[in-house]
Amino acid sequence: MTFSLLHATDFADRLLYNIVPPLKAGMIVLADRYAYTAFARDAARGVDPRWVRELYSFAVRPDLALYFRVPIEVSLDRLLARRVKLKFYEAGMDMGWSANVVESFRLFQGKVLGEYDKLVGEFGLSVVDATGPITNQQREFRRLVAEYLEISREQRDSDVAV
Amino acid sequence: MSSETPTSPSENGANSAITPGHYYGYGLPYLPIEGSPGKIIAIEGTDGVGRTTQIGLLREWLEVQGYGVLETGWTRSPLMQPTIELAKSSNTLNKLTFVLLYATDFADRLEREIIPALKAGFVVLSDRYVFTAMARAGVRGVERQWIRNLYGFAIAPHLVFYLKIDVDTLIRRVLESRGMNYWESGMDLKLGDDIHDSFRAYQRALLREYQSLADEFGFRVVDARRKVNVIQDELRRQIGEFLAASDAPTPTPLAVT
Repeated sequence: MTFSLLHATDFADRLLYNIVPPLKAGMIVLADRYAYTAFARDAARGVDPRWVRELYSFAVRPDLALYFRVPIEVSLDRLLARRVKLKFYEAGMDMGWSANVVESFRLFQGKVLGEYDKLVGEFGLSVVDATGPITNQQREFRRLVAEYLEISREQRDSDVAV
Repeated sequence: MSSETPTSPSENGANSAITPGHYYGYGLPYLPIEGSPGKIIAIEGTDGVGRTTQIGLLREWLEVQGYGVLETGWTRSPLMQPTIELAKSSNTLNKLTFVLLYATDFADRLEREIIPALKAGFVVLSDRYVFTAMARAGVRGVERQWIRNLYGFAIAPHLVFYLKIDVDTLIRRVLESRGMNYWESGMDLKLGDDIHDSFRAYQRALLREYQSLADEFGFRVVDARRKVNVIQDELRRQIGEFLAASDAPTPTPLAVT
């Protein structure tokens, strides 16, 4: 619970200082992770999902939310290939599910991924297949963003016309 | 940011019927507390009303009766205390981060101190409880339902005593002891440069919030303008009756001399 609340505090601080001012100035804000991370991660830790959603009700709903999806084995392979040391909380070691970091990561992040999949429908996240080459992902990313901006520009133009 | 399927706070949120010793709302699903033998007794009231003095006396009295006593107090968690002090000393806190830091502190003490003590059958004496957070947030204009949902992870105390005082008596008492400080005077609300006027306006607003909480959460109101030992006698009488009526061993009432 303290893990969840500390992240919410950090998010509230960034929301008010880094997100809301540029939004009001009409800029585009690119957020690397958002409240959805908390929804998935906190639920995987056993916090009530309804409570987390109510907690984050102060957050601005993103205009576009993309979810880069990879199977658990792919993300593990990538991290281990780079010889990254798996972090304690990232691996969910605090849950005490396994003394082995890799096994704990597989169990915990597997649960987190399951939660993300539920969020896709609930919040209308756009899914990007993140197993392919970076270039392909970036093209897909740009296509989705361009498509969204195109639509919103058309909407704005028609609003002005009206 | 709520989900597409709206959740109904009235169904499971903080405002459903309150059962002492149970979570107010969704609680901590990974920490079931049903059937814990311990008791939570919270002492609420504004700054300088004499809570800490009364709790010290209650502790001694209960321990003499053979009770295990845990004292816990606002912002006293080892995890958050330094962070909260640091954040208060900078000018970056806003009402939301203020509320969330306090909630984190409370969550830490709940999981690490209060729940283990409850399960072990202790009497938990809480110097302030979530109502302090609700009153302060209320004065600062934080949405009522949101903060009640937030503290849905808290446990409803078995007894809540509200040490009630009027603002004039409070001001004299605070000036006679340690003086007025920035936060207790609500100087962050920018009510004016005069610390006395700000203190008065802020504490008056707080007292209004406490009064409405008293009705909502069923506080036992204690007149805090009286002498320390008179207040203590009243607290002991009520606590003694409550503990005698519950499963706990019966304490013999003692008068304060």
